[in-house]
Amino acid sequence: MVKRALAIITLLLIGFWLAKGLVGVPFGEDKMLVGEYYLENVKEQTGAVNAVTAVVVNYRGFDTLGEVTVLFIASTGVGALLWRRKKERSAKSEGSVVLTAGAKMLLPFIMLFGAYIFVHGHLTPGGGFPGGATVATAFLMLYLAFKEYEIDHKVFEPLEGLAGVGYVTVGLIGLAIGGYFLFDWIWQTWQFGHENIGRLFSAGFIPIIYTLIGIKVGTELTGIVDNMIKEEPKGGGQ
Amino acid sequence: MSAAAIIGEFLVLFGAIFYVLSSLGLIRMPDVYNRMQTATKSATLGSLGVIVGVGIWAISNVNSYAWLPKTIVIAVFLLLTNPISAHALIRAAYKSGIPLWERSVVDKYKEALEREGKEMKEGEQ
Repeated sequence: MVKRALAIITLLLIGFWLAKGLVGVPFGEDKMLVGEYYLENVKEQTGAVNAVTAVVVNYRGFDTLGEVTVLFIASTGVGALLWRRKKERSAKSEGSVVLTAGAKMLLPFIMLFGAYIFVHGHLTPGGGFPGGATVATAFLMLYLAFKEYEIDHKVFEPLEGLAGVGYVTVGLIGLAIGGYFLFDWIWQTWQFGHENIGRLFSAGFIPIIYTLIGIKVGTELTGIVDNMIKEEPKGGGQ
Repeated sequence: MSAAAIIGEFLVLFGAIFYVLSSLGLIRMPDVYNRMQTATKSATLGSLGVIVGVGIWAISNVNSYAWLPKTIVIAVFLLLTNPISAHALIRAAYKSGIPLWERSVVDKYKEALEREGKEMKEGEQ
């Protein structure tokens, strides 16, 4: 009781302190310093209509590389924590007929929608991370609906690594051509798709990087699910 | 006001009324199964009305036919997935032993499960 009361009082104090700090910040006023530069120059400099993905992939590409690294480390960490020689699915019963039939029917649509999200990252809201997560939900659905379903590890883990290597390679080619890491060589040097702004074949390397990130995130989250859903086989498998 | 706007607004209103009815059903109904019944059916129908209604409304008010196919795709996806999720939830609720309402009369599923279990036992012996 005392513990809970103390926690509530502390939280209220922290909230009051934060609110006091925010009193001085005006809302609904034009306060953009860097943001204005992005909004004015995003189309000529990157070719993307979606300013968020242009900032995330192009202007601040290093952060995205860091995020991808964080996800990779999370996947590797889960794999290392739950590492066992023999692993088996712990599912006790298969989903009902309605569920399995529905999963079979919906799978291609969900995969297609995930691919749509990450391919159109420079035009519509979304990008590699939401698209990859959507693809991973399709595999999660298969895992939940079927008792013996398992991804092909010989395909999935190399694909994950290759997508990450592809991202770094695109950045390194930029380093060779333009002088700094993640330089958008397709847009700045080749000028590919310059009269195409707002359509699919534009925005330099943003669609390419987002396709790679989408594949990477999709396979990574699927791998995490795959690791966490398994148990040691019964009867002491040594 | 063109015909498309009137139809769209009517559909959105229709859907919103069904949303209200479905949330009322969540409060009014006695047990999980009855609640799922009201919530899924009327909320699915209400969503269809609202979503497709917005698509039709956009024909006259935003002057674009591009909204309608998108909304129809979303509506079809919802129409396909909502019953499946409701089915999975209800089945999981039954399997984890949540009781029926005390005034329920028939539980054929339980009878069928018992009959199956008896046959399995006889088969073993």
